[in-house]
Amino acid sequence: MPILINEDLCVKGCTLCDQFCPGDIIYRLDPQKIPVIKYEDECWYCGSCEEYCPTDAVKIVFPREMLHSETPAEALFGKADKQKPYGVDAPQKP
Amino acid sequence: MIVNDCRAQIIDTDVLIIGGGVAGCLAAIGARELNARVAVVDKGGLLERCGSIAAGVDQILAVAEDGAEWDTPEYLLEHVPKLTDYVVDIKPVETFVRGLPAMLRKLEKMGVPFKDPSTGKYFRHRTFGLPGEYHIDFDGSKFKPKISRAVLDSNAQISLRTMGVNFLTHKDQTVGASVFHIRTGEFTFFRAKAIVLATGDTNRLSRNSSGLAFDSWHCPYNTGDAQAMAARHGVLLANMEFTENTITPKGISSQGTNSLTGLGAHFINAKGERFMLKYDPAGERARRDILTSAIISETLAGNAPIYCDCRHLPADILERLEDTLGVDRPSLPRWFKEKNIDLKKEPFEVTVSEFSSRRGGVYFRGSGILIDDKTGTNIGGLFAAGDCCTVSGGISGAAVMGYEAGKQAALFARNDGAEASLQDQEIEAEQDRLLYPCRNATGIAPREYEDKVRRIVTDYIGYQRTEDKLRKAIEQLKALTTEDSLLGAHDYHELMRVHEARNIREVAEMVATAALERRESRGSYSHFRADFPQRDDVNWRKIIVLQKRGPGYAVDYRSTDLRDPRTETIHAHID
Repeated sequence: MPILINEDLCVKGCTLCDQFCPGDIIYRLDPQKIPVIKYEDECWYCGSCEEYCPTDAVKIVFPREMLHSETPAEALFGKADKQKPYGVDAPQKP
Repeated sequence: MIVNDCRAQIIDTDVLIIGGGVAGCLAAIGARELNARVAVVDKGGLLERCGSIAAGVDQILAVAEDGAEWDTPEYLLEHVPKLTDYVVDIKPVETFVRGLPAMLRKLEKMGVPFKDPSTGKYFRHRTFGLPGEYHIDFDGSKFKPKISRAVLDSNAQISLRTMGVNFLTHKDQTVGASVFHIRTGEFTFFRAKAIVLATGDTNRLSRNSSGLAFDSWHCPYNTGDAQAMAARHGVLLANMEFTENTITPKGISSQGTNSLTGLGAHFINAKGERFMLKYDPAGERARRDILTSAIISETLAGNAPIYCDCRHLPADILERLEDTLGVDRPSLPRWFKEKNIDLKKEPFEVTVSEFSSRRGGVYFRGSGILIDDKTGTNIGGLFAAGDCCTVSGGISGAAVMGYEAGKQAALFARNDGAEASLQDQEIEAEQDRLLYPCRNATGIAPREYEDKVRRIVTDYIGYQRTEDKLRKAIEQLKALTTEDSLLGAHDYHELMRVHEARNIREVAEMVATAALERRESRGSYSHFRADFPQRDDVNWRKIIVLQKRGPGYAVDYRSTDLRDPRTETIHAHID
């Protein structure tokens, strides 16, 4: 779960986290109940909910993939090409 | 699921603004200053906190005319051709750059604190290869709330949690747009005399180091909604081949590292060598595309992992750095803490991010809807501003061009706006078509569809483009459209994701099409063709323009209106 809400600290009636979430992830349709993290795999981990919670009841929890990424950098560059890998040219002396 | 079958609501307005970020807010202010009736729609839940920089921003590109030789629009404009590798439509850029000093004052009047409270002066620095200290560092955590307040005070009508999905045209002129509420499914047609598209850039296009689709450098909820809806109506788009990425701490695709290099941080490779000076005399203060290219090159040369090193910075700078780190992304300081990394004492590993469609790593040349110097498009009454159009320049670009778009849209509505005589059936058909995935809840999940797009984009567009790979990308992206009508949504939130997924695919197809066309390399890894590795200034100093025709895109060119290239000395990549 990307967002933890401390039930003891969360203030009934407040809907700030629901309103501040840019991804429509946090729902507090009933302000008397604890907010629901409805679409957890769509969290940006931006931290707005945590930052703006007036009682510090919200905590962002980074998943393992973010804290211990094991993706090799090359995997993001695209299918390898037979062509010689190319970089930006170093400045040429005239 | 139960589908909201309520009759569509119809609202009349002069100017409809789709997107309530910086560009959309300034458009609303501009149009309200001319007394137009204005409606703004945004997918976010609170105007103060929607758009790319909802959570905050830490710098702004500014011309303050404060006395320094470089601090004028003219000086900056002189350098725009070089900064954009000579592929730029200079006339709308003039509107942007000449509007910078007045916009800085206007934003200050709205209460944005650009001056450092401890000195009473702007804290300016040089970055991204710009020819002067054009960036002001500031505490922009209240930037969006401040400008939103001005919009709310102007009495514009605001519809939140509302996604704009399509606009309608009669005789090549806009007559309004269809939107729905992402929680209730309420469908509204805004009968508008003019429309400003301002939905920002396109993210969730390719893979990143965490593998989480929504962990993206820029706002993952910006999904090319304007670009895709415009493309489907034959609006011209340009510069789509140029994609943008950045350098992020490995594991979190985050804004904020550019402020570290702006303050003097170095990149070092596995051997502990500082390598940036090999690639650009500006070192870590080089243009963004050059930074990412250098890191890709170092990695491919076997010198990974790559680190960002702040240890040599003076104490006062380190302090400033820690203060500003969380402004762009409030969660970033916590991420460092959980990883037990102390920036002052140790370097941290960095990597390239996923890529977005925005401005190819350089200010001034946006990838998106082709606009003229008055933000107009090839459809009457349709205007565009911010990162969805061909002039992109961070928050100041969005502000200046958004304001202009709002004014122009208001003038159009007043002078040329037609009273649309829409048939009820036309709106009902829209409602049926756009809400259809909700009647097909067991259909293909938007996430599944999107993952396919990201795989194709990462593997076959990627950073080392070739004709073979790009043809494969186009073929596979087109084949994916057979799933468009099979997509399903369990609720209206998911309906939003269905439309977003289709929009992301549409943008990906445009990127691949334009990248296949540009048979040269330009702008480092924002468009690198492994089969045409050199920049070709004889044939390719021109803008590639796309227009949807049938199942694909027709390609055309625009001249750049720059000076005769033969009179200038050209070096590859470094001037």
